[in-house]
Amino acid sequence: MKKFAAGLICFIWSTLALAQQTPKLDTTSFVVVGEGLAAGLADFALRDVYQKKSFPAVMAQQMGTAFPQPLIQPPGIGSVPGFPVLPVAVPGPWQTSVRKPFPPPLFVFNLAVPGHHLVDAVNLRPVPPLVQTGDLKQTVTNLILGYPAMILGSDKPLWTQAEYAVEMNPTLVLVELGYTEALEAAVHAKPNLMPDPGTFHTNYAKLLTTLQSTYAQIITTTIPDPIDTAYFSTVAGSAQLTGRSAGTLTSRYGLKTGDLLSPDALFEIPIETTPLPAGSVTSAATAAEISDRVRALNAEITTVSKNAGAVLYDLHALFARLRTSGLSVGSYSLTANYLGGLYSLSGSYPGTTVHALIANEILTLLNQTYKTSFPLADLTTVAPNDPAVRFRPFAVPEVAQ
Amino acid sequence: MSRPVLQFALLMMVFFGSVRLADSSAFSITELGARSAGMATAFTSIADDGSALFYNPAGIAFQKGTQFQFDTLVVVGLFRFNPSSTPPGTVVPSNGYSGSVKPHFIPVASMFFTRRINPKWTFGFGSFAPFGLSDNFTNFHDGDPAITKFPGRFAGTRGRLEEVWFQPTIAYRLNPNSSLAVGVAWVHTHLLLEQSFLNPRTDGLDFGNETANQIFPGVDPTLAARSIARLLPEGRSRVAGTANSPGFNAGYLYKHAASKTNVGLMWRSAVVNHLNGLASFGFTSPFPLQQFVDKDLLPKAFPTQKTTGSFVTPATYAVGVSNSAFWHSLISVDFRLQDYQRFRSIPLNFSETQATNPDVRTPAEKRLFFDFRNSYQIATGFERALNPKTVVRAGYMFDRSPVVDKSVGPVFPDANRNTFSVGASRTHGDMEFTLFYQAVKFMDRTTNVDANANQFTNGLYHNFAHLMGIGLRLHKGGDSSTP
Repeated sequence: MKKFAAGLICFIWSTLALAQQTPKLDTTSFVVVGEGLAAGLADFALRDVYQKKSFPAVMAQQMGTAFPQPLIQPPGIGSVPGFPVLPVAVPGPWQTSVRKPFPPPLFVFNLAVPGHHLVDAVNLRPVPPLVQTGDLKQTVTNLILGYPAMILGSDKPLWTQAEYAVEMNPTLVLVELGYTEALEAAVHAKPNLMPDPGTFHTNYAKLLTTLQSTYAQIITTTIPDPIDTAYFSTVAGSAQLTGRSAGTLTSRYGLKTGDLLSPDALFEIPIETTPLPAGSVTSAATAAEISDRVRALNAEITTVSKNAGAVLYDLHALFARLRTSGLSVGSYSLTANYLGGLYSLSGSYPGTTVHALIANEILTLLNQTYKTSFPLADLTTVAPNDPAVRFRPFAVPEVAQ
Repeated sequence: MSRPVLQFALLMMVFFGSVRLADSSAFSITELGARSAGMATAFTSIADDGSALFYNPAGIAFQKGTQFQFDTLVVVGLFRFNPSSTPPGTVVPSNGYSGSVKPHFIPVASMFFTRRINPKWTFGFGSFAPFGLSDNFTNFHDGDPAITKFPGRFAGTRGRLEEVWFQPTIAYRLNPNSSLAVGVAWVHTHLLLEQSFLNPRTDGLDFGNETANQIFPGVDPTLAARSIARLLPEGRSRVAGTANSPGFNAGYLYKHAASKTNVGLMWRSAVVNHLNGLASFGFTSPFPLQQFVDKDLLPKAFPTQKTTGSFVTPATYAVGVSNSAFWHSLISVDFRLQDYQRFRSIPLNFSETQATNPDVRTPAEKRLFFDFRNSYQIATGFERALNPKTVVRAGYMFDRSPVVDKSVGPVFPDANRNTFSVGASRTHGDMEFTLFYQAVKFMDRTTNVDANANQFTNGLYHNFAHLMGIGLRLHKGGDSSTP
């Protein structure tokens, strides 16, 4: 009986040991499918200064793997939800080839396209001509996914993000999608712009199934809640930024408890525009509904990721934590308030310090999951060179009312 | 045409139709006579049938009349490999990868003929295959996802070697107790090696390094090369060639009648095979770079072409002692040494190179290194007559593998072997029918060679082989039994 018990224990132990074997991670070809956040969109456009320091780029650097990117010459391309869409002007001022370096890499591994929804990542492919004067999203798509293929000949393949990722035969894929949908709904205060969770689930599963065909390890991220970003300022925060008292703002603009103000409103308050621009105030109820819907989509991402065996990083939790606690880096105390140091001028897309922080968090997750030892980026060297950290408000004296 | 001649012609046809060799492992085949195989091949000092032409040609000097002998061996090799590491995501079959050829039954045939010319001289002719190999780890179709394919395919997927000796021999009876024999053989060899290439971790990097600045300008070329190597197709190469070379064989046999003891010595020369053949290449399609490069880039870089090469099969030195003084039985012991250290490498010389055609990337020479060590076999056999017509046999052999750890892989999944055999013969008039069975247990072998890490050939090799054979001996003239 003792022998039987010992044998049973050995069997169970060996079975458990087998089940707990650490999977291996191959970072040879690291490909990113995503939208503006993974692309390195910051301030009001996509441009090389931020792209080079986007969190996937930092990850690649720390992992020691090649990561060719579709770098865009300043002042950049694209637009950020919540701000006016500028006409398509490519090349823009101070731009020559738009993409850099020139000649460009034949392929890029950061496939993230600012403005892409989940369905776009699966369905939207480059379409000639390269510059579509009436369609900014298509132009950005062309410049990222269709270049240089579109100038090499009409027989060259034009891939969607998902197709492109598969063609690159990746060993590691990071998927960061859904934030554009959430952000567009939030900035327009229209929760119903958010995709239906069921449809989102189906499309996300389809994308991961496509990527699984490469046998790459997949990392997914949850969707940050736009309400946690600096795009949305509380009345108190707005008062602090504009040098007005909260009471003044409340009475002058008819604000209610919990209302959130966009950068548009913050720009108008100092010049005492009345009323505030349409859509620049989001009610607490609308904000709560947005947050609920983001959580619903994240539940779907979690489920699909688990089913696909993907490693899930909770980006949503990080943004929430930054909103609650801010971030101390060296002598810098950074907050998620507008011009608080964590977010770029758009308020909705972070600066390079947060990108480095995201990279470190995902690398830590990889180190834990795969028993790797990727070094982390040093935030104390990143922050001093982060434009977002340097964009700080003047100490505005409170104006006598 | 007389009946014996017709029979001989038919049997020759059968023989040539079935010389499709394939034992396993370090390519020696020792079970070329059914009677000797029943005694685990401890036959150097016995050599009392046609297979003496292989085991000890001096033995034919003691054989009277005319003898035809045909032996056929069937090998069922069961080769399994469980890699200790694989590319991430690789789906490894639960019982490892199989290296067995299909169909599983591999026939190996031999033919022997001896004729006493006069009491001193005996002539013999043997056709046999002392070296052969056939294994196949091609568990995939070229278009399958890379991650489902046998991970060691870049070290080889299929090996096939057939070395057939056509050996006329003359034996001389020195005195009533001893004899000497010499044979000169025409040795015909066929070699085929098949493997995948453009391994993203090794040779694929060469292409990546060459094109890094064009495909990924501004990216660290070393890192870029690794990614570019993954955008290439997988290549498959096949090199096949034949060689015709001379071989030599000599033997000595001494019989001490009083003690009923025999002593035999045998030497078979090494053979230098100068191969002439063809190298051909193929590539998976489509692949990511395909639509961005000249569609003929790879076929031009690796054209089908004439190839030469060379390799050496080892010499064999054998000594055996047998005694039939006890228990009405015959007991024998053999020790054989094979100088496999001659098998260091196979240089393959390609006829088309970059020097003559800038599009070509086949090198002037690609050398496959094996660096074998010498091997030895210790065999012991037992034979007992149950009655005047029926004889039974048994034996055991230990075979030390010549394959060093670094060369253990899909072409040579070898290990030391323990062989157990049984056999029996039944005489009917001038004919003798013989059967044998051998169980060959390869010792489990686990390799862990750093240099093989990127070829994924490290791991556990777990092999077993069943050998079964039959022999037919026809005896005309002289006594019906051996002297």
